[in-house]
Amino acid sequence: MGDLSDETQAMQLPAGCGRFPREALELAALARTDPDVPIDERLAPHLVMCKRCTEAIDRFAADNAFLGEFKGIPAPTSRAPTVARTRPGADAGPAERDDAALIPGYRLGDEIHRGGQGAVYRAEQLATRRSCAVKMLLGGKFASDIQRMRFEREVEVVAALRHPSIVTLYESGISRSGEPWFAMELVDGERLDEHVRRLRLDARGVAKLMQQVADAIAYAHRRGVIHRDLKPGNILVDREGVPRILDFGLARADAPDAGSSPGSGTTLVGEFLGTFAYAAPEQLSGDPTAIDSRCDLYALGVVFYECLTGRRPFDGAKSIGELVIQKTMRTPERPSALVPGVDRDFDVIALRLLAADAANRYDTADALAEDLARALDGRPILAREDSKIYVLRRNLRRHWIATGAAAIVLATVVASSVALAIAYANAEQARARAESQLDAVLKALEESNPETGDGTSGMLATEFIASVEKSLEAALANEPADLARLLRSVGLIHLGFGNLADAATAIERAYAIESDAYARGEIDHITMSDSAYAVARVRFRVPSTGPNFAGSEQAYREAIRLRESATRPDDLHTIDLIRQLSSTLRRQMKLAEAEDTLRGAMARSARLPPSRERAIFDAAALNASAGIASDRGELQLALVEYQRALETLRPHVEANNFRIGVGLLNIARTKMQLDQWESALPDAEASLRILRERKGDRDEVTLRATNVVSEIRRVVEGRSTGGAANANGNGSP
Amino acid sequence: MELDRTTTALLAGLLDPANSKAWEVFDQRYRPILVGFARNCGLKDHDAAELAQATIVRFVEEYRDGRYDRERGRLGAWLVTIARYRMLDMRRRAGTARIERGESAMVDLDDEASVSEVYEAQRRRAVLAEALSELKSSSRTDPKTIQAFEMLVYHSVPVAAVASELGMSAHDVYLAKSRVAAKLREIVLRLENEYEEGPGDWASKGRRPSDGLGA
Repeated sequence: MGDLSDETQAMQLPAGCGRFPREALELAALARTDPDVPIDERLAPHLVMCKRCTEAIDRFAADNAFLGEFKGIPAPTSRAPTVARTRPGADAGPAERDDAALIPGYRLGDEIHRGGQGAVYRAEQLATRRSCAVKMLLGGKFASDIQRMRFEREVEVVAALRHPSIVTLYESGISRSGEPWFAMELVDGERLDEHVRRLRLDARGVAKLMQQVADAIAYAHRRGVIHRDLKPGNILVDREGVPRILDFGLARADAPDAGSSPGSGTTLVGEFLGTFAYAAPEQLSGDPTAIDSRCDLYALGVVFYECLTGRRPFDGAKSIGELVIQKTMRTPERPSALVPGVDRDFDVIALRLLAADAANRYDTADALAEDLARALDGRPILAREDSKIYVLRRNLRRHWIATGAAAIVLATVVASSVALAIAYANAEQARARAESQLDAVLKALEESNPETGDGTSGMLATEFIASVEKSLEAALANEPADLARLLRSVGLIHLGFGNLADAATAIERAYAIESDAYARGEIDHITMSDSAYAVARVRFRVPSTGPNFAGSEQAYREAIRLRESATRPDDLHTIDLIRQLSSTLRRQMKLAEAEDTLRGAMARSARLPPSRERAIFDAAALNASAGIASDRGELQLALVEYQRALETLRPHVEANNFRIGVGLLNIARTKMQLDQWESALPDAEASLRILRERKGDRDEVTLRATNVVSEIRRVVEGRSTGGAANANGNGSP
Repeated sequence: MELDRTTTALLAGLLDPANSKAWEVFDQRYRPILVGFARNCGLKDHDAAELAQATIVRFVEEYRDGRYDRERGRLGAWLVTIARYRMLDMRRRAGTARIERGESAMVDLDDEASVSEVYEAQRRRAVLAEALSELKSSSRTDPKTIQAFEMLVYHSVPVAAVASELGMSAHDVYLAKSRVAAKLREIVLRLENEYEEGPGDWASKGRRPSDGLGA
């Protein structure tokens, strides 16, 4: 290109941050206005964090919008392009297939197949003299240029697919009569289902074919192409016995308005019922944003099931509505129940693919291919292991451990899909989705934290956390900022369960990663503040070297400074950080500074309107204030403040809230010190009940409450029997 | 010295009946817009041309009489008002609403805002068309870049096909697109400045143009 001005030289620099080719970003920009443009599935999670790529896409989208304005403007001397695909239809006569000029560059031969959407002809590409198949989409004229563009861009992507089990697309265009066509490799073979039937393939034979198909699908998915219309008719088995997938990614261009096109009554309904049998429930929901690569996995499930058993999973449905209900509400019968001898592993794999909720299917076609390979080799399949988790989850629920652990299982599934965010979504939607998935993971994780969410009891849940952590590491290796956020959450959960060493490792690691990212300007003040806050909390409690209060103080100060720079003075979170800073000061016996700091925080809170959050803060501050009073030996004042704290809290939290348990424990202990044993007992007992429920028996605080209760009981019982069990040091003489 | 093509300068030139160049540029600029506008308001070609002629003549008369004050509203708004009154009048004279209309979109002449929109769209088209022809006549632009742009934008040819047709890489096609967008932006910005009809000053304050009936 001859003309390189300064501005164009600047354009030679990589678009975005350089991790993705310009084309990927350009397609993402197109996807803004056309959700059908395929985008690189790794791009969406990347965009959550990468400002430069986001800006590049914004720029390209703005260019496209601007250039789009010129579309209807008469170009003074526009030269008609010479490529075949855009040559305007010279004559709009009937589409005679033997019209040699119908598709320039090809000679059409016999019709191989004719279906509802089009006809396939044997053809010869004149320039190369190679045989090929040409598919004409009859009646598939594009209603708009956008539609045509979509078709052409899609073809472009699909034509780049090269896989032994994917039929190669050579070229496409618009015929003289305005219909889209494409030329593809000519495959001499038969439909998958016919092949299976003719050779009476057993389950292993079917599984071997499915494994190759899954491998091809995985290959395409990795390139952002979803088939969307997998069915036995689109999978041919060639003479060498290799399955070959047809019509990749063309499902939509194929039938622009399949759902709404008027048709001829029953045939059409029947035809659609057939197609719908392979459609995932989310495809039938009518929400295009719900569709991702996992719809292909569902379709493969139907194909697999059909090939194994000779019938489709929901064969009995008489209407689309009934089909949808069955698909979403019922689990199909196990293939082995229909065909004795089918390996149970194949049952598990097929039913996993047919899960109504996409989240319960395999995450990727790779995982499916892997499991089929395992089943064929006699190794344990992974789907089984997962279903163990589901069983475990059900058991956990039965034993009141409930939602926390379930949430973690969910988080595992969601976490892996964060990194795989959805192909075929408009860039902004994908981004929102990736973000909301991240949020979902975080929320699920938080919910499993006994201090903030529904309680879970120890051991099993911590194992789950470890597995979540592992899956995150793998999924987000290339997204350090995302990984750090999630590591931090995992660390906080560990902290909640009292796994201090694990908590410290995860949180300090997240902090290191986030400090680097912050220095590079990739994360904001608030995120960095949250990171420092987590460090402050973990250092406050860290076990092996003893609590590091000075380190905690330093981290609190950093967290506060960062937050102050990004929030208003009435930000309650900042105020609460100041309260917590006061605790680290108190632990270092800097009582006066602790008290000043705390009073400052309480004064700021006092200016806020009443709210639940403020009440929780006020209660915590009163507790802290009581603690300082207690340190100074002002026990009466401490008791009053502990009680005020509890009264402040009660209207805003459930009666068995963790904080209520701790508050009651504080009151009981102060009463002990004040020699009020009888009145301390009910407080201590209530506290223990709550803490056992919320934190489990082994928790540090629960253990402390247990000791307190037994001590009080010993004294009270000793007194009531007139005995002299004088266990306390500061009691009556 | 090159003619100052800003609307302000053209208007100044119009005050001097001997300044034929100003008149010519003014006429070249606004007549096609008014014709397109009238057609989009539903007039047939012949009526549209007549309306444009009458509107321009009426405007220049009023302007030379000192009745148009740029401080009080943009030129486009003034032209639209003249043209709209004229079209309403044509409709009245036709007795009912049976003035002959072309096939293009109908506009409710009673709704000033939508009539203004039709004009504004037409004016923007004029700017874009001028920008385009300037781009193409500019010797600084590589013809291949323009070809790539035309194939992409006018003919919706996929990038890969543009690339192979023009013997470029796909990356270069994208670059060409960015390059054209940047150049066109620059030209459009300059032309818009010449029109001096930025957004926000549509509402004419105070005085209104006459109803254009010559009363």
